[in-house]
Amino acid sequence: MNDRPNVVIDVAGLTKTYASGELQVQALRGLTFSIDRGEYVAIMGPSGSGKSTLMNVLGCLDRATTGTYKLDGIDVSQLDDNQLAEIRLKKLGFVFQGFNLLARTDALRNVTLPLFYAGMPAKERERRALERLTEVGIGERARHKPTELSGGEQQRVAIARALVNDPAVLLADEPTGNLDSKTSSEILALFDRLSAGGRTIIVVTHDEGVAKRSRRILRMLDGVIMSDAPAGAPV
Amino acid sequence: MLAYFVEAFRVLLANRTRSILTVIGLVVGVATIVSVQVAAQGMAGAVSGIFKGTNANTFFIFPKSTQGNSVRAALKLSDLALVQQSVPGVASVIPFTPRQSIVDAGHQRVRLRFGGESDKRFSTAPLAAGRTLDSEDVARAAPVCVISDNALTRLFPNAASPDSVIGTSIYVGSRRYVIVGVLGKTKIDTAALGLDISNDVAIPWTTFYNNYQRGSSFFGISVLADQGADLKTMENRTQALLTQTHGAQYQYFDFGFFAQTINGFFAIVGLIVGAVGAISLVVAGIGIMNIMLVSVTERTREIGIRKAIGARRSQVLLQFFIESLLLSAFGCITGMLLGVGLGAIVDRGFIARISGVTGSIPWLEAIVIAVGFATIVTLVFGTYPAYRAARLDPIEALRYE
Ligand SMILES: Nc1ncnc2c1ncn2[C@@H]1O[C@H](COP(=O)(O)OP(=O)(O)OP(=O)(O)O)[C@@H](O)[C@H]1O
Ligand SMILES: [Mg+2]
Repeated sequence: MNDRPNVVIDVAGLTKTYASGELQVQALRGLTFSIDRGEYVAIMGPSGSGKSTLMNVLGCLDRATTGTYKLDGIDVSQLDDNQLAEIRLKKLGFVFQGFNLLARTDALRNVTLPLFYAGMPAKERERRALERLTEVGIGERARHKPTELSGGEQQRVAIARALVNDPAVLLADEPTGNLDSKTSSEILALFDRLSAGGRTIIVVTHDEGVAKRSRRILRMLDGVIMSDAPAGAPV
Repeated sequence: MLAYFVEAFRVLLANRTRSILTVIGLVVGVATIVSVQVAAQGMAGAVSGIFKGTNANTFFIFPKSTQGNSVRAALKLSDLALVQQSVPGVASVIPFTPRQSIVDAGHQRVRLRFGGESDKRFSTAPLAAGRTLDSEDVARAAPVCVISDNALTRLFPNAASPDSVIGTSIYVGSRRYVIVGVLGKTKIDTAALGLDISNDVAIPWTTFYNNYQRGSSFFGISVLADQGADLKTMENRTQALLTQTHGAQYQYFDFGFFAQTINGFFAIVGLIVGAVGAISLVVAGIGIMNIMLVSVTERTREIGIRKAIGARRSQVLLQFFIESLLLSAFGCITGMLLGVGLGAIVDRGFIARISGVTGSIPWLEAIVIAVGFATIVTLVFGTYPAYRAARLDPIEALRYE
C-alpha cells in the first residue's frame, strides 16, 4: 500500500451474487481496479450491467459476496454494520438519482443530518451546512423544504449533504437522471468545479456527454469491466 | 442526547395530526385513573370528616334478630343500670329509640326524628340558643325538649332567630314540651348522606320512657363512653354481660365500624374504575405501538436515507424510542392534568358539598401514576417499532415506495 499512497479505492476480485429464491443473479463477476485520490471517474454501461450494484458496494451500503475492497487504506470487507455506518458517515458522500432528501425537513437541516449523527454541536452543524449550501450555489434557499425546490435545487442540496462531512470519495448514481438537460449541465458544471478543487468523484451515467466531462471511463457489461480508459479515448 | 429530543420533537410536530390521534387513548386512560385517585382521596377525607361531627364515642347494642326467644332477649330498664355499673368507662346509658313522630308547633305539622337523650350529648352539634338537657331534667323527667337546626326551620319557618323560639311549646300527640334549647348546624350535613341518626326533637330519656315505653321493652341501648375509653373492650364486655344476664345473643354497632364499611365500599369502586382505566391504558399502548409501526413503514424511505448517510442502528433505535417516549410523556402529562381537574371538580362540587371537607389534591400520586405509565407504555410498546426501524436494510429501505 505504501508504494501507492495516492490510491483511495482499491478493489480486487469483487463479486456480488443476489439470491432471489431459486434464482441466482450474478450482478458483479470479479472486478479489479483502483482509483486515485482526486480522480473523476465515470461508470457507464447498459441497464442491468451492475453499475448500481457496484456503487452500493463502493458506498458501503451493501457488501460484496467475495473479493476485497479497501477504502482509504481500510479493508471494508471485514467490517460489521456499525463500522460500515461509521465509514459511510466519515469517508463517503452519496448522491442518488432520486435525491433522497427528508421531505418535511428544510434544506439546511437535511444537510446538517450527517453532522448530527457525527455528534457535532448544533451551532457548528448549521454553520458548516450553510457553507456547503453556499458552495453549491443555493445558500439563499436554505430554509426551503424539498417540496418548495426544483429538481436541480434538490440535487444541489443532496450534493451539499454528501459533501458536508468532507468525504474521501463522492459517489453519484445517475445524479442527472431525473433532470432536464439545462439543469443537468448545471449540476455537471458543479461536479467539474468540485473535481477541479481536488474531490475524488465517481459518477454512474448513461449519458456520453456526462462521461466526457470525466477524466476516466469504466465501461461495464454483464457484471464485468469491458474497458477502463481515459475520457476521449475511442469507445 | 438533547439533540435527539429536539429531532424527535420536530418529527412529531411535523406530523401533528398523527401524533395527537396517537395519544388520545393514553390521555383518556391516565385521566380516568388519576381522577378516580383524586376523587377517592376526597371521599376518604369526607368519610372521616362525617364521623368527626358525630360523637364517635357512642355505641349501640341490641338483640340479634335471628334468635328464637325474643322475649328472653328483650332489654329492660334494669339493664341500663346493670351496664352503667358493671362496664368500666361508661358515661351514660339510655334506651336507643329510633323513632319518627308527628310534631305540631302552631300551624306547622311535621314528621321528625323524636327520641330520648340524657344530660350527656350524643351529638356534637353546637348550641345555637338556650341550653342543653341536663341531669335535673332527666331526674325529674321534665316535659322539655331541645330541637335541632332542621326541626327549627321546619317547625318555625318564620322564626326571627333561634332565641325567639325558646320557651314556646310543641306538641307530640297530646303531650306538650317546652323548648329549652336549639342546636346549630353540624359542620357536616350528615342528613344529606342519610347517615344522621341524631334526634330532631330530643326530650329527657326518662320523659320519653315514662310517656312512650313504660312496660314495653326497648329496641336497644345507647352507651356513651368516657373520653379516651376503649370502645372495643366496652362493646365486648357489654355484649358478654347482657348475654350472661339474659342467656341470649346481642350485637353492637358503632361509627368506626360504619366508617370502615363505607371506606371499604369506596375502595372497591376505586379498584373497579382503576381496572377499567388500566385496560384502556393497555389499549392506548397498543394504539401507540400500532401508530409507531405504521410510522416505521411510512417512513421506511426516511430510515433508509438516515442509514445511508451513516446513522448507526443504535442511533435510529434511539430516535424512534425517544419519539415514543415524547408521545407517551405528552399523553400521560395531559391525562394527569385532565384527571386532576376532573377529580377536583367531582371532589369540590359534590363530595365537599356534602362533607364540608375539601380533600387536598394528591399531586404526588398523580405524578407517580403519570410518570409510571409513560415509562411502562414506552418500554412495552415503543421498543418493538424502534427495533424494527433500526433493523431495516438501507438499500431495501431506499428502494421502498
Ligand atoms: N436486490 C436485488 N435482488 C436480485 N437481483 C438484483 C437486485 N439488485 C439488482 N439485481 C440484479 O442485478 C443486476 C444488476 O443490477 P444493477 O441495478 O446493478 O444494474 P444497473 O447497471 O444499475 O442498471 P440501470 O442502468 O438500469 O440502473 C440486474 O440483473 C438486476 O436485476
Ligand atoms: Mg442503476
